[in-house]
Amino acid sequence: MFGEGLLTGMGVTWKHFWGKKETFCYPEEKLPMTERFRGGHLMFDHTKCVACTLCSLACPNQAIKLKIVPDAMKKRHIESYVHLVGRCLYCNLCIEACNFHALSWDKNYAISTWHKEEMDDELVTAEGKEFFNEMMEKAKAEAEAKAKAEADKQKNEGGDA
Amino acid sequence: MPQTETYTLSMGPQHPSTHGVLQVRLDLDGETILKATPYMGYLHRGIEKLLESRTYVQGVPYTDRLDYVSSMNNNLGYCRAVEELAQIEVPERAEYIRVIVAELNRIASHLVFIGSLAIDLGASTGMLYAFRDREKVLDLFDLVCGARMTFHYIRVGGVSADLPPEFAAKCDEFLKVLPEFMQEYEDILTGNEIFQYRLKGTSRMTKEQALSHNMTGPNIRAVGIPFDIRKVDGYGVYPKLAFDVPVGENGDNWDRYRVRYLEIYESAKLVRQALDGLPEGDFMAKFPKALRPPKGEVYSRTEGTRGELGFYIVSDGGPKPYRVHIRRPSFINLQGLDDMCRGMLIGDSVAAFSAIDPLMGEVDC
Ligand code: SF4
Ligand code: SF4
Repeated sequence: MFGEGLLTGMGVTWKHFWGKKETFCYPEEKLPMTERFRGGHLMFDHTKCVACTLCSLACPNQAIKLKIVPDAMKKRHIESYVHLVGRCLYCNLCIEACNFHALSWDKNYAISTWHKEEMDDELVTAEGKEFFNEMMEKAKAEAEAKAKAEADKQKNEGGDA
Repeated sequence: MPQTETYTLSMGPQHPSTHGVLQVRLDLDGETILKATPYMGYLHRGIEKLLESRTYVQGVPYTDRLDYVSSMNNNLGYCRAVEELAQIEVPERAEYIRVIVAELNRIASHLVFIGSLAIDLGASTGMLYAFRDREKVLDLFDLVCGARMTFHYIRVGGVSADLPPEFAAKCDEFLKVLPEFMQEYEDILTGNEIFQYRLKGTSRMTKEQALSHNMTGPNIRAVGIPFDIRKVDGYGVYPKLAFDVPVGENGDNWDRYRVRYLEIYESAKLVRQALDGLPEGDFMAKFPKALRPPKGEVYSRTEGTRGELGFYIVSDGGPKPYRVHIRRPSFINLQGLDDMCRGMLIGDSVAAFSAIDPLMGEVDC
């Protein structure tokens, strides 16, 4: 009979009309993100990073801009870690490249911005900045102490001779 | 005596039923199509050149962006080509995981086909059902690799991570509900008389025509040629798994729909077997991080969701490919559009695009 198929189809719709809802009210309700979810902003742990630049080298789209400063002891530190979110492919290669687990995703997927400039994300926090200054100071003090010790040693050696 | 002349209608690129940014110029005589010429290139991003300026490993996420509805299959195609070039042996477990995710992705992609075919023919409810069920597959992928669209899960040498422990149960659940929702499509779409009228007997193609355009994938199987690279080349662990290749009889839009519909069942069969036979072992091969394949060239093909997906890579021994060319099935299948549209009505052209199932990300590359 013509129309039988149409009616069967409508029957399916009718059944679902009374059935369980497939949708939910975003943004009032939100789903939890999975453990491996890649998205949102990168999170950077300044205490773990050794400034090896592997993450930035692994990035296929040059989305990571690092500013690395050597301290007085010739050890390298990260002064600024900029994640260019607009260039990011969310490929996870940077996170996998880091041997010290200094990087992770914050999983906050709602990251749209009004302006392009706001997309560049500085990952070194105020706390990280403080840590950086502290390390620099410490290295400076260490270097000075070392220089002093060396000078003293030389003086002593000179005295001996 | 009134004078008549042919009329040219430009369909797209901003048209909801052209699956992205495809422009088709239709030469019309009244409502009958005399010639349909696809104009492409609106989505060109130069992916081949991007791959040439990245290392082999860095190139994989770009292949996600070719056919973005079935990224797993693109990852697989590219990785297999690089592995062949660099002679990397992939662990057995990784091969099985690859089959699972690639076939799940084929299911997801065919669901998008069913959904978009439905909405192109005016059945918007049909689309909602198909997209609802595709979410189930995407949820699985989200568990596996943390993304729903650009997966970057299959890597050179294996896969990026082992399957999570809860995956097997979730996948099993999905395979159990699959026949239920497939039956719903039978009821809501396949049996629908309007749907049948729009598809049966329209855009019929002969075997010779399909071959002369070098069509592959479901489009060639719909005309009755059982050409499936998983069977023909038997790459990976496919020869160990049992599955059939559904073929059509008449080569019309209806057969194109039926072939894909039945392929979903075949893919589900493959996922079930791979899941049951999943061996223990590594999921990643061991190879040097700075990959430098020896000088040479390779053409490696896999059965993508839309047909023969081939990667031609030339290596000059350096860390980056010297040349990459991608044989994109959507691009080549689209060449058959003219033959499919001639003599049909304007409304049928929409069914024809939909039945070819081109994806503009892949057409323009
Ligand atoms: S996720 Fe990929 S593209 Fe984004 S910053 Fe990391 S390596 Fe670069
Ligand atoms: S790879 Fe890790 S340790 Fe090295 S610079 Fe990047 S974040 Fe720091």
